[in-house]
This record gives sequence, structure tokens and C-alpha cells, in this order.
Amino acid sequence: MTTANNMPDNKHEEYEIDTLTNQRLLSNHEYDGIRELDNDLPSWWKWLFILAIVFAIFYMVRLWVFRADDLIQKKEFDTEMAGVNAAKPAPTTEVFEVKILTDSESLAAGKETWTKICSVCHLQDGGGLVGPNMTDNYWIHGNKVENLFNTVTNGVIEKGMIPYKDQLSQKQRLQVISYVLEEIVGSTPANPKAPQGDLYE
Amino acid sequence: MELQKFTYDNRIARLFMNATILWGIVGMLVGLTIALELIFPLMSNNIPWLSFGRLRPLHTNAVIFAFVGNGMFTGIYYSMPRLLKTPMFSELLGKIHFWGWQLIIVSAALTLPFGITVGKEYAELEWPIDIAIALIWVVFGINMIMTTVKRRTKHIYVAIWFYLATFVTVAVLHIVNSIAIPVSFLKSYPVYAGIQDALVQWWYGHNAVAFFLTTPYLGLMYYFVPKAANRPVYSYKLSIIHFWALIFLYIWAGPHHLLYSSLPDWAQALGVVFSIMLIAPSWGGMINGLLTLRGAWDKVRESPVLKMFVVGITAYGMSTFEGPMLSLKSVNALSHFTDWTIAHVHIGALGWNGMITFGMLYWLLPRLYNTKLFSVKMANAHFWLATTGMLFFAIPLYFAGFTQSLMWKQFNEEGYLTYPNFIETVVQILPMYYIRVLGGSLYITGVILMIINLIKTAKMGTFVPTEDDEAPALIAQNHGVDKGHRVIEGKPVLFTILSLVAILIGGIVEFVPMFMVKSNVPTISSVQPYTPLELQGRDIYLREGCYVCHSQMIRPFRSEVERYGEYSKAGESIYDHPFQFGSKRTGPDLAREGVKGGPIYKPDSWHYNHFVSPQKMVAQSIMPPFPWLITDDLDISTTAKKIRVMQTLGVPYPEGYAEKANDDLMKQANKIAQGLRDGGIQVEDTKEVIALIAYIQRLGTDIKKVEGN
Repeated sequence: MTTANNMPDNKHEEYEIDTLTNQRLLSNHEYDGIRELDNDLPSWWKWLFILAIVFAIFYMVRLWVFRADDLIQKKEFDTEMAGVNAAKPAPTTEVFEVKILTDSESLAAGKETWTKICSVCHLQDGGGLVGPNMTDNYWIHGNKVENLFNTVTNGVIEKGMIPYKDQLSQKQRLQVISYVLEEIVGSTPANPKAPQGDLYE
Repeated sequence: MELQKFTYDNRIARLFMNATILWGIVGMLVGLTIALELIFPLMSNNIPWLSFGRLRPLHTNAVIFAFVGNGMFTGIYYSMPRLLKTPMFSELLGKIHFWGWQLIIVSAALTLPFGITVGKEYAELEWPIDIAIALIWVVFGINMIMTTVKRRTKHIYVAIWFYLATFVTVAVLHIVNSIAIPVSFLKSYPVYAGIQDALVQWWYGHNAVAFFLTTPYLGLMYYFVPKAANRPVYSYKLSIIHFWALIFLYIWAGPHHLLYSSLPDWAQALGVVFSIMLIAPSWGGMINGLLTLRGAWDKVRESPVLKMFVVGITAYGMSTFEGPMLSLKSVNALSHFTDWTIAHVHIGALGWNGMITFGMLYWLLPRLYNTKLFSVKMANAHFWLATTGMLFFAIPLYFAGFTQSLMWKQFNEEGYLTYPNFIETVVQILPMYYIRVLGGSLYITGVILMIINLIKTAKMGTFVPTEDDEAPALIAQNHGVDKGHRVIEGKPVLFTILSLVAILIGGIVEFVPMFMVKSNVPTISSVQPYTPLELQGRDIYLREGCYVCHSQMIRPFRSEVERYGEYSKAGESIYDHPFQFGSKRTGPDLAREGVKGGPIYKPDSWHYNHFVSPQKMVAQSIMPPFPWLITDDLDISTTAKKIRVMQTLGVPYPEGYAEKANDDLMKQANKIAQGLRDGGIQVEDTKEVIALIAYIQRLGTDIKKVEGN
């Protein structure tokens, strides 16, 4: 890059020096009193720039020539999901027992899930709003622990209840159902929704 | 050599200066308001034009185009004549520019809060205002270029290079991104759709940062820093290299806003590598600014002006390093959609643009009034308030962004999301939102101090409307033969054209394949146009600024697929004029909100109740209520026209459908309303909420139809 246009090439000729930094001022470069110094590009800056350009070329070649997996997001996603599936424990032959839990630890965990997820439609006190009232003895899909477990697991899609099998573990599902049957049913909510379904004595 | 006499007009610089201060404080107060609304969601008190979704576009537009815009014009109208030894070309054009620009700002303030918006971030203004912007911008450009033609200096200084590049690039960006077909006087649909619209929009959006917030302010830096420090610029060579590298590379980097979106991999990769290559050219500006102060550091300690410049330039260096880092896919996967981005842009806005503006005002106003600054002490207090305010603003938001992103991605031992309910991640970071309000308040307090200080200064002095100067005519000067870059510095029109060529290349290389090569947007046969009711509902979604807080772009990560459903495909948004991918998740992503049985599906009645009172459904929600959707009737007089415009844009509605569209609209509305009534909700078919529910329940469902078959 040629720069010091009007600057004499012969270094022995006279040029102006900035007295504070001892650096050369470009002659004829003066704009409203602003002068410019003839300093070279800082070498670390040049290297930073060159490195970034090398990085860019390397990156594009990896994508365009070598089709690197980590630069193609579909492959990246497939790899992530494959890793997850591989890490999953083999399905156990043990049968998960769907039986009401009554220990205080399970009920506390169930309450936590209720608050985080279920209360969005059934309200915190179970009185119901978008979803049915859970405090009364009227049930649309049955009142047994297995019935509730099935509803939570597979949802009632046409009514807007989504399946929770991908969001809550079996244990979490059972805990929250136990919390409903033990604590919510029979309680007195602030604004109970009208009964839906059949009365179970 | 015979000296010619001429005068500089300080009145136009003063006008722009006053506007900078006025809109600055307005824009910042709107910002403070919306920061408070995120803590107190009921603060808007059910007043539509005070709700977050409508005020946030006002905040960004006010700060960018009103505060920084007037700031740049102040500096340009003051420095350009002095650097070129000539008055500005036309006082009349200057006045048209000034009043036209203020009128545009006022019309923005009178439209955005009332929901009149295109729904594209940082380009929200509707088509009549867009046309006005283009015209006024051209007036500004003509005034600048003609001033360079009439100059009395042989060469144009580096500040002028940046001013000219700003003019041509912003003109290109604004015009290309704003092309739309009007539906009515205040409603239009952009010609681009979906991922193509997103590419154009972020080419614009990213380069609005580059050429509205950066290049003109680098120009101001090159004038006011050496002036205030009375020191020569560190390196002329660096000026040349970093100027051309910066404007050429910047234009390519837009796709980094769309990493892990449905944009093709090659375009994303270009966004990554050009962002990385930008570090050095950006830092070139920082080096030339900071090293110009060598030999003057003793002055920096005493002068609030120089202190502000130093912090401003340092903030510029920080955010131009952070930007490329955020453009790396692995970092972006973590930072995108979170408050991290908000922190990042505020280092730029509060630090770089704010501090450079304040420093310039403290330097300039006493000169315009031929006096000294009223109180250096107050200015120093402002400096500290602004610096600490910026840190109290940004650091909590970095923390918030990082925390929330990790919570979104966390799985428990059994392989389920640890925080399946989005609100948990919001509650976790709320304390950070409080601290942000504190930071913003400190910053604004500083600005108020500045205003008092400047008013007192003005009162002490007398305004100098014009200043005389003299210089020989250009033709009378003998400069010898130019070599190298000096040649084009002597030909400003050629210089402008070369800048234009430099900034066109990146855009063309990215756009042409994206629009011409079909494989970049693979077709999905089951994707259908919106029904008339959904289309009307979508316009309500735009009007309320839902995209400000909700994205519609599920990235291909396990954590997002588990939380929201199948990741988004390019073919799904081909009828979206404009696209609504969003850039921030203050609330959950909505791309698959309508997929029945999907992980975030909610029934119609839930949405109805949620619009009336989000807190009734999610106690800790920070979303404001939208009760007017329940009481206001949907305007269906526009349906036919909207369908016709969509047909013009290539959306395949059957011929003659526009006239029948309202029949279908009413049928669908009746079905949804009847369902709600069956559930005990008293609502009429005609209300706006029905259309919005129809739209939301449509989101993300087209792709599922294939699987069903």
C-alpha cells in the first residue's frame, strides 16, 4: 500500500516530527487542524487480521470440500440425538408398579410437579379452569390410579390435555397422581369448576 | 494565492444537537418504562399503547434513529464544512433534512404505540414513513455529496469517507428491506417471505448496526477525538485498511443472526466467518481512536470529554470483539434468544453511541455558545453515572442470559428436561431485571445532569450563528500528483461509488442463490396458506408485537425439540410475509404452539383465559394482559384486500377467493367461539381474540399433516 504520497522517499530530507511521540507526521495531511501520523499498522493487528482470514478459509473449506459433520446442522442434530439414544438404559424387564404412593417425600415431589405443570390448567388448588375440577368425585376417565396414570401418560389430545410421557418420568407421573388422590381430591377450592364426568362413590 | 471568504452555519448543527438531546432522553425513558414492565407486567394497566410489545419497537426506533441519528447529523453538519473548507452545499436542504427527519420520528411515535407496524425488527415503520425516510435520506446524501464537490481541500479526510459510506449503504439497506405492497394507507405486506425475508431483514438489521450506529460514529470519532485532544491521528495507513475492510466485510455478516435457524448451512457459515474477520477491522478503529490520545493521557484525566471518548471507544472494542464471538455457532447456541444479546447491544448503545455523543456535546456546545462548560464537576459525575450505569445494566443481563440458557438446556438423570415449565427459568432471572432497572436509572440520571449542565452553559454564553473562515479555491491550489489511495481521496464522487461497489458484493453473493436456487428452501407439499381468519389473527400478532418476546424458530437441539417439538424447516414459512422468527425468548417459542399433543399445546380456552389474564393461568408470568382482544371486534373489511395482496405476492389462494374469504372467516370463527361457549366462556364470534387463537392454533401444524397421512 503506497501511502506517504507527498512524503519524500529520501529519509534524509526534512519532514515534520510530532514532538510528543517522535513520530513522523504526513505533510499535506491537515484537515481543520487535524494532522495524521505516518505510523505503520501494528504488527499484532496485522497478524490478528491474517489469522482471522486463515480461519475463514479453513472453515469454508471444511464445509464446502470436506462436508464436516459439525458444520452441517442436520448431521449435528442427528449425532446429538444418536448419542442420547445410545446413552439410554436398555428397557428393563422390571414392571413399573402403578400403585398409590403415600410417603411424604413422594407427595412433596408430586406437589412440586403439580405446581410446575398441572396447575397451569387445573389451578393450584385443583378447582379447575381450563382442565376439570380435580377436587370432586366426578371423573371423566375413571378414578383409579391406573386410569389417572394412563391419562397423564397419553393425554386426552382432543380435549387439550397433552401426553406427558416425554416430559415426566414414570415415577414423577405416579408421584403427582398420588398427590392428586391423597391431597387434592376432597379439598375445598376457592372457585370450583362445575362437575364433569361420572360420580364415583 | 487569493483567499476566498465563507461562513459556517452553526444553526443547523444546533438544531440537530437539540433534537439529539430531546429524543435521547425520550428514547431512554421509554426504555426504562419497558424494563419496569418486565418486572411489573400489570404496569401498562390494560392500556394497549402502553403494552410492552408496542413500546419496545418505540424504544429501539427512538434510540437508534432519533437519538443516534440526530447525533450523527449534529456531528456531520458541524465537522463536514470545516473539514472541506466550505459551507454545506444548501442551507435549504439542511433544513428539509432536519424537519423531515423530526417529522419521521414524530410519525413513528404516533404509529408504533398504536400497533401500526410491519412487524420486522428495527424496520417496523409502515410504508408511507419508509418512503419519507428514503426521500429525506437522499436529501441528506445530496447535501453531503454536493458539499464534497464544492470543497476547498484537495483530499477528503477519513471522517468524510465514513460519512459517505454511511449514506450509500443505509440507502441501499433501507430501500431493499422495506419493499412492500400496501394493503391500505397504514398497512402493507413485505414482498419477501419466510427464510428469504429473514435473510434480507438481518442483512438490513445487522448493517443498520454497522452503518447507522458504527460507521458514522467512527467518522465522528475521527473528527472529535483529535480535535478535543489536539493530537494527530495515530495512523493514516490503518485508516485506509480498516475503512475498506470494515465496509466490505460487514455487509456479509447478517446471517449470524440466523445461526441454527432454517437458513442453509452455507449461508450460516458465511455469517460466521465474515464476523470473525471483522474483529481486526473493527479494532483498527479502536486503535486509531485510543492511540491518537498518546501524549495526551494527562489531559484525559482532567477532561470529561476525553474520558467519555475513551470509555466509548473501549466499549466499541469490547462489543466488536464480543459480536464475532457470539457469531461462533457453539457460543450462539448458548447466547441466542437470551438477555445476553440485550446486554451486548447495550454495551454498544450505552457505551459507544452514548459516550461518544455525550463527549461530542460537552465539547461542541460551549464552542457554539463561545463560552466554557458550566460545570466540569457535573460532567465528571455524569461520566461516572454513565459508566457504572452501563455496567449495572449489562453485567446482570449477561448473568441472566447465561443462567436461563443453561436452564433451558438442562436434562435430569432420567433424560427429561429439568425445567420443563418455561416460567421457572424466568423467575430465576427476575432479580437480574431489577438490577438492570437500577443500571438504566443511573444512566438516565447522568443524562439529566448533562441536560442541566448544557442548558446552564448555553445561558452563560451567546450563540454564535455563523463562523467565518477563508481558504484558497481548490483550482488555485497546487498539490502535485497523487499516488495510491490519495487519488480517490481527491475524487469524492468516485470514492462514494467505490464504497457502494464494496458494500453491494456481500449482499448479492448471499441473496442471489437464496432467491434463485430452489434447494435452499425445500418445498413441503402439505404447507398451505393461512385461512382468512388466521391471516387476520396473524396481523393482530404483529400489531401487539408478540414477536418481541416470542420466537417462532425451534433450533435443531435436543433441548428445543423436547421442549417445543420438531425443529423448524425452511419450507414451513414460505407464506409468512413477513417472517416472525423473533430474536428473543422472554416467553417460550411458539413455532409449534398449535400442534395438538405437542409438548406445549394448550386448548383454545386456555389461550382465551391467558389473554385476559396471563397471571391467572401462570401465576408468576411477566406477560401483560390483552383484555382489548376480548372486547374489540375484528375488522373484516380488510380481508378481501389482504387476500388479493397476498395473491400478488404469490400466495396460492384460488382465483376469486378474496370475495368469498369472509364467509370462510366467519365459519371458522363461529366454530372456535362455539367451542369456547361450550366450555362456559361467553364470547362472540366477531371478537379479535378468536382470530388470534385461530392463528396460534395453526402454528407449526402443517408439517404434522404429512405424518398423519
